[in-house]
Amino acid sequence: MQILQFTFMRMLSAIPVLIGVTIIVFLAVQLVPGDIALSILGRMASQEQLQALREQMGLDRSLVVQYGIWFTALLQGDIGTSLSQQLPVAGILGPKIVNSLILMAGSLVIVLVFGFLLAVLSGAKFRSMTDRVVVVITLVLASLPAFWLGIIMLYFFGFKWKLFPISGMYNVASPGGFWDLIHHLILPAAVTAAGSVAVVARVTRSRMIDVMAQPYILAGKARGLKRSQLVLRHAVRNTLPTFASIGGLQIGYLFGGVIFTEIIFNWPGIGLQVYDAILQRDIPMIQGCVLVVAVVFVIGNLLSDIAVYALDPKKG
Amino acid sequence: MSLLVKGLRRGIASTALLGLMAGFSPALAESTIVMGVEADFSRMDPAAARTWNTFKVIRHVYETFVEEDLTKGGDAVPEIVPALAESWDISEDRKTYTFHLRKGVKFHDGSDWNADAAKFNLDRMTNPDFEYFVPASPGLMGWVWGDLESYAVVDPYTFTITLTQPNAEFLRRLTAGGSGSPRMVSPTAVATFGNDGIEQNPIGTGPFKFVERVPGERVTIAKNPDYWNPERIPKTDRIILRAMPEVSTRELAIMSGEVDIIGTPSPDSIAMLEAQGLQLITGPSPMIYVMWFNTKDGIFKDVRVRKAACMAINREEMALYQRMGYAQPTWGVLNPGGPGYDPEFRDCDYDPEGAKALLAEAGYPDGLDTRMDWTFGGGADVNTKGDAEWLQRDWAKVGIRAKIEMFDNNAFWDMMSAGMRDGTGITSASWGESTFSWLDQVLPTTVMPPNCCNSGYYDNPEMDRLLSEARAAGSEEEMVVKLQEARDIVAEDMAFSSYFATNSVYVAVPGIKDFRLAPQHWFDLTSIVKE
Repeated sequence: MQILQFTFMRMLSAIPVLIGVTIIVFLAVQLVPGDIALSILGRMASQEQLQALREQMGLDRSLVVQYGIWFTALLQGDIGTSLSQQLPVAGILGPKIVNSLILMAGSLVIVLVFGFLLAVLSGAKFRSMTDRVVVVITLVLASLPAFWLGIIMLYFFGFKWKLFPISGMYNVASPGGFWDLIHHLILPAAVTAAGSVAVVARVTRSRMIDVMAQPYILAGKARGLKRSQLVLRHAVRNTLPTFASIGGLQIGYLFGGVIFTEIIFNWPGIGLQVYDAILQRDIPMIQGCVLVVAVVFVIGNLLSDIAVYALDPKKG
Repeated sequence: MSLLVKGLRRGIASTALLGLMAGFSPALAESTIVMGVEADFSRMDPAAARTWNTFKVIRHVYETFVEEDLTKGGDAVPEIVPALAESWDISEDRKTYTFHLRKGVKFHDGSDWNADAAKFNLDRMTNPDFEYFVPASPGLMGWVWGDLESYAVVDPYTFTITLTQPNAEFLRRLTAGGSGSPRMVSPTAVATFGNDGIEQNPIGTGPFKFVERVPGERVTIAKNPDYWNPERIPKTDRIILRAMPEVSTRELAIMSGEVDIIGTPSPDSIAMLEAQGLQLITGPSPMIYVMWFNTKDGIFKDVRVRKAACMAINREEMALYQRMGYAQPTWGVLNPGGPGYDPEFRDCDYDPEGAKALLAEAGYPDGLDTRMDWTFGGGADVNTKGDAEWLQRDWAKVGIRAKIEMFDNNAFWDMMSAGMRDGTGITSASWGESTFSWLDQVLPTTVMPPNCCNSGYYDNPEMDRLLSEARAAGSEEEMVVKLQEARDIVAEDMAFSSYFATNSVYVAVPGIKDFRLAPQHWFDLTSIVKE
């Protein structure tokens, strides 16, 4: 019951955040230099034609009015119409969000599994050989820019050794279902995950080291508990809230990170879409993409807060 | 727990199996070619579609009265051939075109092509009171409908278009695209799906039918077996055009065999791609890299400085080493593949010593400082920053010390509309068409800022007169004379120059045959096959 209440309160507090997000998204796009009318009509349009279009689109009205119109439509689920394609943004973004979520979920699995394993391996025995190796590995992972790592991985795994396909989600000429998807997913998910694996491993490791120094671990040792029992049942349990909280934060970062990975691997998600939209200066599309990323970030935080609360052995 | 795992496993296995079946059966039955193109597509409605890349798709779905014959490839300017009009007459005063329409042609939805359909489309593009008018159309298509006076249905298979003044290029402009294209959509489809519905239901008369579009991913077109011209019935059943904006992704995708053909690899990668056993397909392109000089700038307002800048560039070396030979040096404002181009023409000769002397004469014996505003480009542009650095080095040798500022393509053209900035002496971008419509957009005084794109404020009313006379010319020869006259005056004033024209470059897997390139920004896909 308590957790439901907590969830409800937490969701209420997300509302002002989301409204703030819409304002920032709206204003940020206004700050981008350039003329929407010009990007629709192209450089051959005359001044009169441009002015007529501006009036038709309401671009000559005040920012507050424009925001009001945009926000009202947003509440009705209308994110706008893509300028470059004249299709509803929501309809285009729907499948892209799913694709990005698939990539993000794949990365999250990698982040959680490897982040956790590395943390437990290293944190259980501070300054051991394993610990040192993990510290170095995570340092390297955290320092690699995704764009560079992606191209290197593409070259070796995709091109040189031909272990994985290079671009897209499916074989376009003859799509092959679930395993085809997994096959296409592994490389981009690994690249997206690299930085976050390091962060999760590092933070969870510190917590693990703290926990291992706690009196109750010492007490357990004194009572003759086996080391594996101590680590797995007592220490790990107490690092879970930290792990869940840092892991949950990664949801947002991964969703931001997929933008780069999607461009390199031509993954048809929201990142590739926002890149195309920026190239074509498709303002409603850019707004839609940024809004979606922001909402996913907020939801990710919400979920991780709830998970932290649920996993905390000390609550109530 | 184990039940759940079993269930999941079964689920996964069955999806995989279904996927395999779904995947293999059509692949065996029909031929498919996957093409990696340089950018995502714009709108599918021809009256509102932008970009050359988009026109690569829609010129196969929709047609108009006449067509450029791109099926033969080669260097020659493509011939104008009949398409939805079997023949045409041009009136004595060269203002009225009477098109005799082809009978028995059907749109992909089964409705008939006739003079009413032609009128419907002209209304849609040019008549603001028409129910299905496309508001973006007049702004996009001034280059073809700018001189339009009227149009009329004479009988079900005769249609006339009357211009306010003769236009020697009118038929060729009808075949073009990239900023709207004057092609015919099915009136029935527009009435059924609405104006915006055409985006998902592009229905024309062309050799390919539209199958599907996944925005940001791909467009699929399929053979129209009932196409009216048996010679142009596609040899391949299905062509998938994948948008791959990142050049290294395109290159890796062709190396791994995920796509069958890609457009515009980086010139530096071509040798490596060929070493993989891939075939290189190149052809001439009307694309030229134009330079604007800022005639309002404190330093560059002096014609001697502009001439020195022209003389400082070693164009042959640049085409050979910076573009690895996949470009040809050019001079002046007329482009290869466009009317009036003369490969022997020079607006200046490479002469660094002469350039230094000219600069000294202009009062800059110790050189000068300026700025280059450059664009990363779009579509078929690659490595323009490298080009800028190459030029910067050539200019530094004669004492023109330039800082480079790079812009994304949209911001660049906004800036061009606003006019070149103070302190910027030189700017450049790719342009050029098989018609001279683009010069109307660059040279006359009427397109000075805030219009685009006489961005260096070249204030010479002679340009307005000569271009208007070139349009109204009675013959192609007369048109060429006027264009070359304009070219020579521009060279004398050194208001614009150019440094090279790039080739169209494609890389294909060995099995690809009969992909032919004519000097055009787009191509014909009816002959391509994969063995």
